[in-house]
Amino acid sequence: MMKKKSEKSILPGSPNEVYSRLEDLGIDMVKDIDAGVSPGFETASRGRSNVKFDESVGCLRLGDRKEERTFVNVGQAKKFMQTVAVANKCKKFLKEGSHTSIRGLFYQLKFSLGESVDEELFSDQSESNPLIEDIETAISVKREDLNLYTDRKGVVAGPMTIKDKFGSEETTIDCRKQGRSGYAIPSDVDNGINFVDVEADYVLVVEKDAMWQRLNEDGFWKKENCILVTPKGQASRGTRRLIRKLASKKLPVYVFTDCDAWGWYIYWAIKAGSMNLAYLANDIAIPEARFIGVTMRDIKEYSFLENLTIKAKEVDIKRAQEMLSYPWISKHEAWVEELNQVLKTKRKIEQDALQGPRLSFVSEYLKEKIHAKKFLP
Amino acid sequence: MGEIDKVFSEFKEHSVAEFFKKNRQMLGFSGKTRSLTTIIHEYVTNSLDAAEEAKVAPEISVEIKEIDKEKYHVRVQDNALGIPEKHIGKVFGVMLAGTKFHRYVQQRGQQGIGATGCTMFSQVTTGKPVHVISAYDKKVVTCDVEVDFKTNGALVSNMAKEEQDGSRRGVTVEADFAEVKYDKSSYGVFEYLKRTAIANPHAKITLLDPFGETHVFPRSVEQIPPKPMPVLPHPLGLAKNDLLEFAHADKENMKVSSFLQNSLARVSAQKVKELESLCAGVDFSKKPADMSWDDADKIVGAFGQVKWIAPATDAIIPIGQEQITKSLQSILNPEFLSVRERPPKIYRGGIPFIIEAAIAYGGQSGKQVAEGTQPEILRYANRAPLIFDSAGCSITESVKNIEWSRYGLKNFDQLPITILVNIVSVHIPYTGAGKQAISDEEEVVGEIRSAVMEVARDLQRHMSGLRSEKDRAARKNAVLRYVGQLSGDLAELSGKDTKAALEKKLILLIEGKYTKQLEESNDSIPEDAASGGSEGDDDEKEE
Repeated sequence: MMKKKSEKSILPGSPNEVYSRLEDLGIDMVKDIDAGVSPGFETASRGRSNVKFDESVGCLRLGDRKEERTFVNVGQAKKFMQTVAVANKCKKFLKEGSHTSIRGLFYQLKFSLGESVDEELFSDQSESNPLIEDIETAISVKREDLNLYTDRKGVVAGPMTIKDKFGSEETTIDCRKQGRSGYAIPSDVDNGINFVDVEADYVLVVEKDAMWQRLNEDGFWKKENCILVTPKGQASRGTRRLIRKLASKKLPVYVFTDCDAWGWYIYWAIKAGSMNLAYLANDIAIPEARFIGVTMRDIKEYSFLENLTIKAKEVDIKRAQEMLSYPWISKHEAWVEELNQVLKTKRKIEQDALQGPRLSFVSEYLKEKIHAKKFLP
Repeated sequence: MGEIDKVFSEFKEHSVAEFFKKNRQMLGFSGKTRSLTTIIHEYVTNSLDAAEEAKVAPEISVEIKEIDKEKYHVRVQDNALGIPEKHIGKVFGVMLAGTKFHRYVQQRGQQGIGATGCTMFSQVTTGKPVHVISAYDKKVVTCDVEVDFKTNGALVSNMAKEEQDGSRRGVTVEADFAEVKYDKSSYGVFEYLKRTAIANPHAKITLLDPFGETHVFPRSVEQIPPKPMPVLPHPLGLAKNDLLEFAHADKENMKVSSFLQNSLARVSAQKVKELESLCAGVDFSKKPADMSWDDADKIVGAFGQVKWIAPATDAIIPIGQEQITKSLQSILNPEFLSVRERPPKIYRGGIPFIIEAAIAYGGQSGKQVAEGTQPEILRYANRAPLIFDSAGCSITESVKNIEWSRYGLKNFDQLPITILVNIVSVHIPYTGAGKQAISDEEEVVGEIRSAVMEVARDLQRHMSGLRSEKDRAARKNAVLRYVGQLSGDLAELSGKDTKAALEKKLILLIEGKYTKQLEESNDSIPEDAASGGSEGDDDEKEE
């Protein structure tokens, strides 16, 4: 295998750059063949053992371990052929300027290899998904750069304007004027999307869509001059990228979730990134994010919560134990306390519980926490 | 007196016909299929022995015709020296009249009661005599022979003589037998003759079966095996009944002491004295014919306590690696064959023996049963096939006790494998008078195991070679199948080169790698490539 070019910035910026990186990947393979060696390429190992927590940045990233993908090898031949097929298909998407989902890509590549080979190129999407990641890491691009979008999930509202260059048109979207439903965060906020005026003081991320609607109805973001985001559970790539971009504009990011390991994990995935997406590292992590609540210690300050706890589920307990084993979480004493409290009481508090006294109490709680800077790290 | 006369003058007569008439199963005449096989065995071994003695390459033809239900006409013809007129009666009509009985030689039939046993069987089941044609010198003698059960004498009738130019030679015996059955089981005549042919590659054996089908087991080696040297029986090889029979047949020695000294090997006057001192109450000066069962028991017991010089080893002759190889190749046409001969070893403190073993795989190896193919074991003692009593035989036991999976033969029970084991010795350690199974003498069992394991290892090497060859081809094809698709995509992705050109180059690359066996040892699925996509957080709901 030939030596690959040195890594460039993970964000190529222009589709032409991505296009030529794909082409170069192919050219290097042809050179391998001409040199009489098995065509191959190198990609970072995405195995868990190669996921490290980067202290200096505060996010999960891949270590230095590399893996070679090569064709003339029984164990790899099929995957290699499939990877090249994916790369070639993405090159075509870029050329045409068309986008599809990774499921759409799978269907584009689900065909029989031919009369002599009784086998499909791909017969299950689980085969193609990891190969997309292989290409992403091999040529240092994101799948969104390869014109592959993901399902949209997440809604935003607040004082900012987005210019969306879509096809031949450019649309201006005022996130202040999205009514009760908000602006659905696109899967790709990098290519063709521009944030023209961001006038907010901070970003508030609330775990649940229902809570976002409550706060939107309260006019919370108007009163607070903040950008209100909900990932609707675990944050999608697009939502994380959006928060990341806003954080890069020096906006503080505050996260509000349930008081349970599940909610806290959503916070930690937003903050430090996740194992699965470690290859995207700090392009997707927001180490600056801070946690508002709900916390176990809130019970002391808001005594009504005492009666609004519910029983923690088995998955909450398991996830809490798991989180305690992550050094980047367990280095924070406050979090260890919180997690141990969950394990001890086996109770949890939903963010919705803050509507207990009155519907608008949530807003009061958030304001109080944010202005008093009562955060967890 | 000519050579033939000398051979046949050694017949000794014994009156036991009446006894055997009542106990015919002792001669192997039990069961319908087995009886017919025994008949063929007796005639064919006589022919083989006769041909070997005459230094003639044996050519034996066997014909079996069904004349009625469970009634057959048998005709066996050989090309040996023929039997002189005056000896025909003794060979076919007198019990215990064989040359072999008294001249202990490594030979196929060791009892010399065979041909007469057949005559008796014919008489008992059909009431007819056997018909014998003997061609020798410039004569052809034809006659019928019967056994006189009262006197153990032969009744020869219808004697006719013809002159000939000397070109005809050999014995033809014809007889009818009832209460017998021809079938294709492993106890049957066909299987017996096949096995005989395998062990006697210098012989050509033809069988015309009752269905009118002719089976020819061709001669695969020209060389006639050397004639085993006749030796006297060695004390260590004798069982009580052997000794008793010998003693009772003895008509030359006046005393037991001289009988022992003259009739057995390695017995000196000094040894007789030693034996006498060990056998309190046995009168060594009485006539050998008066030896009692009790005397024989004590003497045989004493044999085991005396130090003996080992028997002469030139009396034992294996089939030979080359001969077994050629015969198995010609009869089984196997894909793989290994033949091993172990060096001579000694059992029971002094009896030399040699184990030969062979393993054949593929071709006509193994036996066909209803469920498919099964391994078959061909057992031989002094190149005579052991057809019956396989369950109680050390050869069968040894083969079955081998852990075949350790030789890479996991489904051994379904493989087309033929295993041949021949034990060669002046005294074969049979389990009983039927002489169809080898007893579990420790040294013999050990040698059988070693020999079979040696050939098993050879087969293992062959099979693993095959596997890796097959494996390599499979690996190559596993990569080749993707060349077409890859070449097309790569041509487009790189914008360089055409699909056809890339395809050609890739095929060359792959062919080169998998034929030159330059494959890297790490040609396997890398850990992370296999698992990279599926591991990770279960709650990443991105799509």
